[in-house]
Amino acid sequence: MHISASSRQRGALAVLAMPAVLFTAMMVVFPILYTIWLSFRTAPLGHATQFVGFANYAQLADSPQFWNSIKVSLTLYVISLAMQLTGGTYLALLLFQAKRMPAILRSILISPFMVPPVVVGMMFLIILDPSLGAANWVLSLFGIAPSAWLASPEWVIPTVALIDTWQWMPFVALIVLGGLQSLPPSVYEAAKIDGAPPRLVFWRITLPLLLPTLATAAILRTVDLLRFFDIIYVTTQGGPLNASDTLNIYGFHIGFELFQFGYASALAMTLTAMVFGVVLALNRLRRAIDW
Amino acid sequence: MASVRMQGLKKRFGAIEVIPCLDLEILDHEFVVFVGPSGCGKSTLLRIIAGLEPITEGDLYIGNQRVNDLTPAERDIAMVFQDYALYPHMTVYQNMAFGLQMRHTPAAEIDARVQNAARLLDIGPLLKRRPRALSGGQRQRVAMGRAIVRDPKVFLFDEPLSNLDAQLRGQVRSEIKALSQRLKTTMVFVTHDQVEAMTMADRIVVLRGGVIQQVGAPEEIYGRPANRFVAGFIGSPSMNFLPVTLLKGAAHLLDGRKLNIGATLEGQAVLGIRPEHFVPAPDGSGMPVEVTLVEPLGSDTLVHFLVGDIKCIARVAPDTKPLVGERLPLAVASGKAYLFDPDSGAALPAGILP
Repeated sequence: MHISASSRQRGALAVLAMPAVLFTAMMVVFPILYTIWLSFRTAPLGHATQFVGFANYAQLADSPQFWNSIKVSLTLYVISLAMQLTGGTYLALLLFQAKRMPAILRSILISPFMVPPVVVGMMFLIILDPSLGAANWVLSLFGIAPSAWLASPEWVIPTVALIDTWQWMPFVALIVLGGLQSLPPSVYEAAKIDGAPPRLVFWRITLPLLLPTLATAAILRTVDLLRFFDIIYVTTQGGPLNASDTLNIYGFHIGFELFQFGYASALAMTLTAMVFGVVLALNRLRRAIDW
Repeated sequence: MASVRMQGLKKRFGAIEVIPCLDLEILDHEFVVFVGPSGCGKSTLLRIIAGLEPITEGDLYIGNQRVNDLTPAERDIAMVFQDYALYPHMTVYQNMAFGLQMRHTPAAEIDARVQNAARLLDIGPLLKRRPRALSGGQRQRVAMGRAIVRDPKVFLFDEPLSNLDAQLRGQVRSEIKALSQRLKTTMVFVTHDQVEAMTMADRIVVLRGGVIQQVGAPEEIYGRPANRFVAGFIGSPSMNFLPVTLLKGAAHLLDGRKLNIGATLEGQAVLGIRPEHFVPAPDGSGMPVEVTLVEPLGSDTLVHFLVGDIKCIARVAPDTKPLVGERLPLAVASGKAYLFDPDSGAALPAGILP
């Protein structure tokens, strides 16, 4: 379509676009602004809100449970991301080498991340059930003593990370596979002529060339992982002893069980700032390593 | 530094026979150019020498060693790719050093060789840059640098100039030629551009459908083409081909006109005349042709005309300024008429009747 630069037409376009712009603003911008506004107030259920300045944020800084949640969220983030990136890359390399992938394999591969996380949580509750679940039975075959993995303060985070990895590693693998397929084939022929053994080809050529793709995958997973909620809500509710009490789980507890909306908003804003910060940093990193 | 020898070489991709059976010897220090149209097997042949394509049947020797089963690295060759194939995440320096590192060359020697090649190619100031910060011509030099530092037995070039603009192509062409005279290494160069072949080669190998049509020095390929295909492929504009009947030293064209070419043969033949071998005939002699198009090139002028329904081109001096529709009498420069067998296309040497 050809749009002439006449100001009348531009005015008309602005009018036509306005409803969409307003709708988007209401849906996206309003809740954020409202949360920011709320985070500077107390909002007891059934009473008028009251301005309290930075009191909610000060309360967060003094709360050991908040710092515990930061630690839990970051630990879960780092462990899950590491597992998903390494596992996803490995899976992608296998799929890339199996030149012709049967269509059914691709379908199987994308099925985990199409399952709703709540269902995944339920599924693993059954699999990991200390007495009835399949997990302990399989592990016992390898001589590993049965354990209540989700009820153990040491093991709960790695276990939850493993569940999330089961769901999202294939997604990372598909992204990395796309990255692998777009690498220039002649570079690999040059490496053959230069005499690089396969192991070094991976470490010196494939991996560095994949780094921007991995950074993209990391950004996509960061947003989800730092806000980790659903699987934990279904499986452990933050327990045992707050060992899996992520920021989002803790915020839900304050807001919707204790009804401290102002305090919960301050926590939500802190979490938002964290996600923003990490994503921006990763994005900068991605640009720095782009070739 | 080594010769390259192919004996009974065959290559099939599945059911498709790309190279039916090929014998060729490239001498030590020789600059050989494989030339031919797309799909003639020239790049496949180069990739076979490089070890990037397995040989279906036959033997390949580099020096005195049979290399059929050696990896590309073990063959001690270096290759400049059409798209340069530089490692995009490495600096120019690292790109050139990588092959030496893989061969466990001491760091000091790597540095000396890289610096030396950089000086030779005039890319010293670029050593710390990544490929994406280089122009096409600079990338091309880095690709050559990567080959030079290796000091290989054989250099392989796979259409390395085709991604450069016309002006740069001419410049790099002469640089590669100068480099080959300096390095004294065997070089195999693949191109579809006959000008590159003519200007750079010690010997040209003309390929068609995986079969060698002719091997020879540029002037030999141009002056004594082995068949109609080679005659038409080398030279620009292409040679004109006219079916004729030879009788008493003259070539009788299908439209009844005749050209005196002093042929000793008689019978059916295809007459080949290069555009540059048409000369304006003195009054009354020669073959008058009706000019259909005039293309002045500055240094000379291309005159298009029809013989029967066959389009022909003559290259004449720029001061001949014919007009479209004008009748221009043309003759053939003495000794410059080529005759080909009408069926096989093979060149007909004087004295042998078809």
